[in-house]
Amino acid sequence: MNGRDFRALKYLMLLTGCKTLRIGPIDIEFLLVILPVLLKGALITIELTVLAIFFGTIIGLFVALMKISRFKILAAIGSFYTWVIRGIPLLVQLFILYYGLAQYLDIQLSPKAAAILGLSICGGAYIAEIIRAGIQSIDKGQMEAALSLGMSYAQAMRRVILPQAYRRLLPPMGNEFIALMKDTSLVSVITMVELMRSGILLNTTYFRSMEIYLTVGVIYLIMTTFFICIINRLEKRLAISDGE
Amino acid sequence: MIVAEHVHKSFGKLHVLKDVSLTVEQGEVVVIIGPSGSGKSTFLRCLNYLETIDKGYITVGGQPVGKRKLPDGRIVDDNRKNIYRLRSQIGMVFQRFNLFPHQTALQNVMEGPVTVSKIPVAEARARAEALLAKVGLADKSHAYPIQLSGGQQQRVAIARALAMQPKVMLFDEPTSALDPELVGEVLAVIKDLARDGMTMVVVTHEMGFAREVADKVVFMDNGQILEESPPHVIFNRPAHPRTREFLSKIL
Repeated sequence: MNGRDFRALKYLMLLTGCKTLRIGPIDIEFLLVILPVLLKGALITIELTVLAIFFGTIIGLFVALMKISRFKILAAIGSFYTWVIRGIPLLVQLFILYYGLAQYLDIQLSPKAAAILGLSICGGAYIAEIIRAGIQSIDKGQMEAALSLGMSYAQAMRRVILPQAYRRLLPPMGNEFIALMKDTSLVSVITMVELMRSGILLNTTYFRSMEIYLTVGVIYLIMTTFFICIINRLEKRLAISDGE
Repeated sequence: MIVAEHVHKSFGKLHVLKDVSLTVEQGEVVVIIGPSGSGKSTFLRCLNYLETIDKGYITVGGQPVGKRKLPDGRIVDDNRKNIYRLRSQIGMVFQRFNLFPHQTALQNVMEGPVTVSKIPVAEARARAEALLAKVGLADKSHAYPIQLSGGQQQRVAIARALAMQPKVMLFDEPTSALDPELVGEVLAVIKDLARDGMTMVVVTHEMGFAREVADKVVFMDNGQILEESPPHVIFNRPAHPRTREFLSKIL
């Protein structure tokens, strides 16, 4: 809506005796002021989510393979990782990464670096558990059949086990991706300006909490819904190519 | 072709193989019979190193399985490359087929040659099609395992193992998971292989098949080989009382 449209709208409101135009508790005029700022923040949230999913999945795959490894030491490291990371709140991990490292080791990460690192490490631990469960749900006869053809362990994983696990992983991975998207709101505490922090900053200027945070909430809802749709699509496509 | 000497194997405290020795000549069909839990499947799985052995020595086609003798006579674990190469020369067919469910019958049969032997896809496809025709499934090459009956799945599994052009075929109760009316079609394929001169070790409860196809029948009980004779001897005049008892129960 450009300036002229907006003036026309206000004129119309004046004529009809309507003081303000509202959607529920949200004043449209105010919404138009905060929306550009919030949408910019939402873009950052999407960027953080995508990066965290990308790096988290790579970490998760490696940690999962470590955990099922026959080398005890690797399995122990993998288990230690998921135990620690899943047992400490992400909020605390972010504080350690951003404030703790700066003070103790003189490593000052940028808010963005700390955010991506924290989210990937945390997401990786949960994704590792999902992938491990997925791999172990595949009948062990599959690995034996692959090995008996002369495949190496790595070939058997790549050609036989992972393609089957992948199909079973999708639903729980979808849940994890959505949780990760919502968890990005936590990085607002380490001064990373994403959707949530944009809302907080706007509120310190305008003190209109209901309107601002409700809008923030609706934007998160739209993004997660969009995400769910993509995953549902993928699942349907896989079901078809499965020949089942 | 296969020589197993004094093989011992334990799962924890359970001593499953107690000093098992067996020789299988080139082109010979050896059928292993015996009650459940007698160690026959475990022994078969030791032959291609799906199970490791605790003591003893196994060679297939002159190559030691999983172990290597050093010049000074010590026996050490073989490197993994050798184990993979050895396995590629030994075909294995499982009780539960273990076809790859995300691949069609044709892709299942092509998988080994393409991934392990690295032969060109076109050549692998031709070989796979020929093998599927051999097991009577030329028209099912694009079906997924789930769309096939148990007997058809097992025949695809046999074709998959043959695609690696193995020196030896191992069958681990290939008809035990099948409906009775489907047993015949799988046994027919195995008989064909025997006629072609394939060296085979078959663990089975199909005594009719053993009588007809085996050059040698091995009776295992409680982790030991109690008797090993040609079928007409073991089925008509079993030497060991335990063999006699077992056969009287199932024949």
